[in-house]
Amino acid sequence: MLKKVFNQYWSPYIVMAVAGILSAVYFGITKTVWAVTGEFTRLGGHILELFGVDISDWAYFKLIHMEGTTFTRTDGWIVWGMFIGALLMVLFSNNFKIRMPRQKRRLFQGLIGGFVAGFGARMALGCNLAAFFTGVPQFSLHSWIFIVATAVGTFGGAKIVNTSWWKGKPVLQKGNTASIVKERKQIQPYIGAVLALAYALLIIYFYAAGKNMLGTAALFGAAFGILIERGQICFTSAFRDLWISGRATMTKAITLGMGVSSIVTLIIILVNGMDPVTKMAAPSTLIGGLLFGVGIVMAGGCETGMMYRLMEGQVIFLPVFIGNIAGATVLAYGWDHLGIYNALVKMGKPINLIEVMGPAWALISTLVLLAAGFLIAVIWQKNYRFGVGFKKGETKHVH
Amino acid sequence: MSIDYTLDLRGESCPYPVIYTLETLQEMKKGELLQVIADCPAAFRNVPEEVVKHGYTLEQEPVKNGRELLFYIRA
Repeated sequence: MLKKVFNQYWSPYIVMAVAGILSAVYFGITKTVWAVTGEFTRLGGHILELFGVDISDWAYFKLIHMEGTTFTRTDGWIVWGMFIGALLMVLFSNNFKIRMPRQKRRLFQGLIGGFVAGFGARMALGCNLAAFFTGVPQFSLHSWIFIVATAVGTFGGAKIVNTSWWKGKPVLQKGNTASIVKERKQIQPYIGAVLALAYALLIIYFYAAGKNMLGTAALFGAAFGILIERGQICFTSAFRDLWISGRATMTKAITLGMGVSSIVTLIIILVNGMDPVTKMAAPSTLIGGLLFGVGIVMAGGCETGMMYRLMEGQVIFLPVFIGNIAGATVLAYGWDHLGIYNALVKMGKPINLIEVMGPAWALISTLVLLAAGFLIAVIWQKNYRFGVGFKKGETKHVH
Repeated sequence: MSIDYTLDLRGESCPYPVIYTLETLQEMKKGELLQVIADCPAAFRNVPEEVVKHGYTLEQEPVKNGRELLFYIRA
């Protein structure tokens, strides 16, 4: 039983449906959504403060609130919880390994891609979570603009990574060059067990000390980390793989998850009389989404996928993480200092579908759009092939 | 089982394992056997799915080799 849970990846459909329910419940408890890049931006702000930069008058940091430290904020514990949850799964499945990129150019590509993605995500006031997976279930119009823009951006990104100077060459040799390794004793699951125990104690401490929201964030963060690692959830591949080989597994799983989450979130909103989290829909949403789409493909992962891949020991995601934080921080600087807010954001306004058309139609139109997306993904996967696209004919052999 | 080529994808992350594998298979003659070594967990799933979808066959079940996975694909 345990072997099955930890040695096999879980169905991405079930994983995303559960994540959709949990994120709705998390919103019901904390009134905030599952998100990560806002906290990345705050981390960037803290790093600046460490170097003596006075950020007290930066408008963006006022907007996202810099109070406390990352360890006293719920958004902070969502991030650390995700890292820890993902690491626990990697250790339990004995799968941690320092995975160095063979081609050194990948490190630089990751840094650039991470920077562009971080910058774009924060310009749009979200990433694949708050402006996407947890934005759609809040019926915030900005997330639909962001999703379409991200799709277009990933098309550009796929073109870039497919050029020979970016892609590089693999190691292809004649004959059999694999060397079979002997199974060694597994110590990683034991390290995981110790870590899990320590983290459980921390969560118990939060609740015992009356810091219920921090405990909840730490708990849900770990659950999200466990889910995305076990489901190998990748928002980047949900778009990019459509353009490359027509793979739509993630597209379908994420769409399903958003549908489930929309239903549960609406119930929670109506039962508790809560206000949905609505973000600004503005030209910045569109441009931010485009940049985000290009950036995540160049980096090979978005702000969420990056987290569990780093825990698997994929070294390339270290420069991606640094790039994410740097990009978000530069955007925070440019928000007022370079006039981004005045040029691209000011004229927008927060639009919520519930206010525009009432809860019933908001849900119906959201589900119809998601169903249409799911159907397109199914048709796409069936008919699109690597190198030839939608053209008819068998996979070609050059020789 | 006589392996014609080995594609070593260790240290490559998405989307390169799928791109490299499909490109290599296109270059090979029909009936030749390709061995793929992968260590990126995402590739454990998307490489076999995509080669089958593109009309190639998995010669046998993938072999777990420590933290790597070996695929045997008939072009």
